[in-house]
Amino acid sequence: MMSAQMEMENLVLAAALELVDNESCFVGIGVPSLAAMLAKRTHAPNLVLIYESGAIDANPPIPPLSTGSPSVTADTAMIGDCLDVFGYLQAGRIDVGLLSAAQVDRHGNLNSTVIGEYRHPKLRMVGSGGAHDIASMANRVVIVMPHDPRRFVTAVDFITSPGFLNGHGERAQCGLRGGPHAVITGRGRFVFLGEELHLERSFQPFSLAQAVEGFGWDVPLCPGAHCFNAFDESARQVARGIGFSGGGA
Amino acid sequence: MPKLLDLAAAIQCHVPDGALVFIGGFGHCVPFAAGHELIRQRRKGLTLCRTGTDILFDQLIAAGCASKVVFGYLGNPGVGISHSFRRAVDAGSIAVEEWTNFTLLLRLHAARIGVPFLPTRALLAGDIPKASADPRKIVCPFTGETLSAIPALFPDVALIHAQRADQDGNTQMWGIDGDSREGALASRIVIVTVEEIVPREVIRAASERTMVPAHRVAAVCHVPGGAHPSYVQGYYTRDDEHYFLYDRISRKPDELAAYLDRRVRQVADRAAYLRLLDADVLARIGLSSKSNVVLDEPTAVEAQ
Repeated sequence: MMSAQMEMENLVLAAALELVDNESCFVGIGVPSLAAMLAKRTHAPNLVLIYESGAIDANPPIPPLSTGSPSVTADTAMIGDCLDVFGYLQAGRIDVGLLSAAQVDRHGNLNSTVIGEYRHPKLRMVGSGGAHDIASMANRVVIVMPHDPRRFVTAVDFITSPGFLNGHGERAQCGLRGGPHAVITGRGRFVFLGEELHLERSFQPFSLAQAVEGFGWDVPLCPGAHCFNAFDESARQVARGIGFSGGGA
Repeated sequence: MPKLLDLAAAIQCHVPDGALVFIGGFGHCVPFAAGHELIRQRRKGLTLCRTGTDILFDQLIAAGCASKVVFGYLGNPGVGISHSFRRAVDAGSIAVEEWTNFTLLLRLHAARIGVPFLPTRALLAGDIPKASADPRKIVCPFTGETLSAIPALFPDVALIHAQRADQDGNTQMWGIDGDSREGALASRIVIVTVEEIVPREVIRAASERTMVPAHRVAAVCHVPGGAHPSYVQGYYTRDDEHYFLYDRISRKPDELAAYLDRRVRQVADRAAYLRLLDADVLARIGLSSKSNVVLDEPTAVEAQ
């Protein structure tokens, strides 16, 4: 089954595996929510899900369409306000942030603002929301993206959310801690070596070559890069139970 | 002057053309009824602000009410982009000042607590400060760290929808507040619409729920169903389908104009708006067009 559904399932399964039990996780809408919900229902029952609307230790029964949706608060321990949760973030109390975007580049910078030039864009998009804040201040950032070559570019049109900027330590020089930890697609997992995107593994049935198919540059391989074939089938069933209608990424 | 007004009168009195307007509601309690009244009264030249917007911003842009937007996110939450915003940017007909959800929140918080700026670790890098927002780099006098200084934002008027208020304007909201309290308390004038007007004893028996006290409220309006298609916890749930419907309609300017004519400009008030919703929609979200039925009492304290 080398289908869109397979890729979507892989994406959610692999993103969930980035989340560690007992961590605090700042969750966005779409694939990030699906992955966090899956992790909480499988290997990380004590994962603390935090939504920017102010929900702390949320446990959405169904994928929420917006960060302020009823599902976000249906089974949450606390509803604070935006200042509570962004305060957590700035204070360094968020272990991991899950983000998606329209574009990602070789240094893990994300664009959700414009395609084309800022003043005269080809496509005006939604802007940062909380993404810039999460990318700047979470202790580590996991980027989830569908495998779509148009989304993987050497340099994003607009840096909404900073990754490693131009590399060479520029992020740290700007006073930012953390940074992108991994990029997950439905075909593979990428990490940053020397602040540059490297392919670490592909997900069966996709080969290493298929994991970077159509990308605009030659993505280097990690030492020991391999094809991975060990998604837990019971986790896959749980993912299917959650459903994949969690709104746009 | 009594504060309990009808919504048309409250907007007429307190929101002039050109005002800087904070629109409350973070997915929850979005003040659609109040926003629609701005459209009916053909307000012009407004600057609209909040952190994460709902499709009410798209409608106010499409209707020609807004000449500027100040925001962290502007789209159709979970569904996609704001098509009217995109067209306005293409046409050059709207001024754009974009921040991030946290830094716009800090702008409101600074205004709320009366300081000209607040420091933050956001907006130290990336293209937002180069293109739009204008934070300044500052050095902390205590630690020597470089931080961003985020200027206060003082809205003229806040539009807030909430569960209930008394006739003096003591306003209670529970569930997701998001940035509503920050925006309301940052603003010079606060206009509130509520699902229910309740006796003062009900407010005072659960005063920890009061979000804006009466002396900060200029007008309170009884507008049941005033947050549709968003939701009000304990009263009715979110009409997710409407957000997908709106995405399809708002892609085409003529269809969107017809939507705004039929559902906004040609209805007299919120009750008339609700009568246009199908019975199955009202049943699905738990909203009656005739009365404001409380679906679940949040606490025993509420019992009257």
